[in-house]
Amino acid sequence: MKAFARILCVLGCLLGGGMASASPITAELSTDRVEISTGFTGASVLVFGATQNPLGGDPPEDLIVVATGPTQGVVVRRKINVLGIWLNGPSTRFPEVPGFYALAGTRRVWEILPEEERRQYRLGFDNLRLRSEGTRNPAFRAALLELKQADGRWQEYASPVSRAGERLFSARIAFPDTVQTGDYQIEVLLVRESRVIARQELSLRVERVGTAADIASLARGQPLLYGVLCIVLAALAGWLGSVLFRRN
Amino acid sequence: MQVYLPIAEMSVDALLLLGIGFGVGWLSGLFGVGGGFLLTPLLMLIGIPSAVAVASGANQTLGASVSGLIAQWRRGNVDWRMGLTLFAGGLLGSALGVQIFALLKRWGQVDVAVSLFYVVILGIVGALMVRESVTALLRRRRGTAPRRKLHEHTWLHGLPFKLRFRDSRLYISVIPPLVIGFGIGLLSAIMGVGGGFMLVPAMIYILGMPTAIVIGTSLFQVVFVSANVTLLQAWQVGSVDIVLTMLLLVGGVAGAQFGAAMGTKLRGEETRALLGLLVLSVAIGLAWNLLQTPSRAFTISPIS
Repeated sequence: MKAFARILCVLGCLLGGGMASASPITAELSTDRVEISTGFTGASVLVFGATQNPLGGDPPEDLIVVATGPTQGVVVRRKINVLGIWLNGPSTRFPEVPGFYALAGTRRVWEILPEEERRQYRLGFDNLRLRSEGTRNPAFRAALLELKQADGRWQEYASPVSRAGERLFSARIAFPDTVQTGDYQIEVLLVRESRVIARQELSLRVERVGTAADIASLARGQPLLYGVLCIVLAALAGWLGSVLFRRN
Repeated sequence: MQVYLPIAEMSVDALLLLGIGFGVGWLSGLFGVGGGFLLTPLLMLIGIPSAVAVASGANQTLGASVSGLIAQWRRGNVDWRMGLTLFAGGLLGSALGVQIFALLKRWGQVDVAVSLFYVVILGIVGALMVRESVTALLRRRRGTAPRRKLHEHTWLHGLPFKLRFRDSRLYISVIPPLVIGFGIGLLSAIMGVGGGFMLVPAMIYILGMPTAIVIGTSLFQVVFVSANVTLLQAWQVGSVDIVLTMLLLVGGVAGAQFGAAMGTKLRGEETRALLGLLVLSVAIGLAWNLLQTPSRAFTISPIS
């Protein structure tokens, strides 16, 4: 309901004063908060907005949407066979990789932007700066890309930027259930003649709420108390359960 | 119905967890063991990180064993002195085990190490159980009851620091129970099991305790050692997921009652043979996972 009201409001602004303003692009998110509650199974956020010029015009304009999550450190390990058993062997550390990365566009970025610009705006997996420590082997970087994509935390063109009418556009960003908490940046870029001519930055917060939040913060903040609580709760549940389910 | 596990940071089907809890509970009620040795591998199989599976498995074992301990205690089947001696060893063993676990986690070898422990321990215990129960079954068929000595004297009885365990009708050194408690505690911390399936034979065959009080006394050790493992895992590794524990417990406690009702219809040797086969098959399944070429050559994990 809240999201719907936002959409109406933004559309109202766009159709009213929006056209007269100088900004060639106006974008908004369907929500600025993704809440991880006990029933969380992932979330989908809509990025939508309008452009000043019709998208199919001449010269053609294209839209790119990039979402980036908080950085995290990741270790990639290669499995090796020791005496017939598969162990984790050599590893490479990537101290700063985006925990989440999603790229969507009306077209593939390499079709519409030169490499320089793609690198500057970090568009596409090839242009992510993934500094590594340890074994210098491109296989580890490739494995990182593959595994991150497999669990849905890195996406390239997973869903398109779709157009409605001449000026309206929308894109969907899907967050898997393993999404990290923190602040997410969503950039909307307008491209014309191989150049980014306008950009708008939006932000989104992913946070735990309710019981899930309480449990996680207690476990992290006061692990000793949490441990005692786990013992007491498990003992109580076990005892209570045996009383309830007793079959004579 | 999906439920989000706050510590594992993933969502899992709640019905699946209830079902696993029920199934393991049913088997544990049937065989009179905690079932941790089945639960932890199953959790890892459905994609729960092994650190969380081990820690929450220990927590679940605690809950699942509490009511059994209360029942045995009411019947006076707990040798407190023996229980405390075992627990003293178990406290040290589990503390060391959690340190080893934390170290393995830092090295990124938790999954392999936990699997290896399972394969070796379950393989040995399962093989011994099957062999023992098969010989017992054969012997019964032939009708030759073996003559068992009331009390066997081994080198264990020559050890110093002797203590009188009145309820167990034993006068033995405290060293063997301390060492046994230590070993079980260590395995309990690394494997997320209560260790009843190893403790019970050790108490009967090594310590020579009377069968009547073995179950109660082993439950005493299992409850307190798994409580210690829960506490240390929560404190030092941060991998106890209470939501996971609770879902497993609800299914487990219900299942255990049904299993126990059915268990009374089975003979002792047959039960042990079946349990041995179950233990062996878990070991073989995990060994297969370790030996076959992994589907992905790389793994990723966050830097902690």
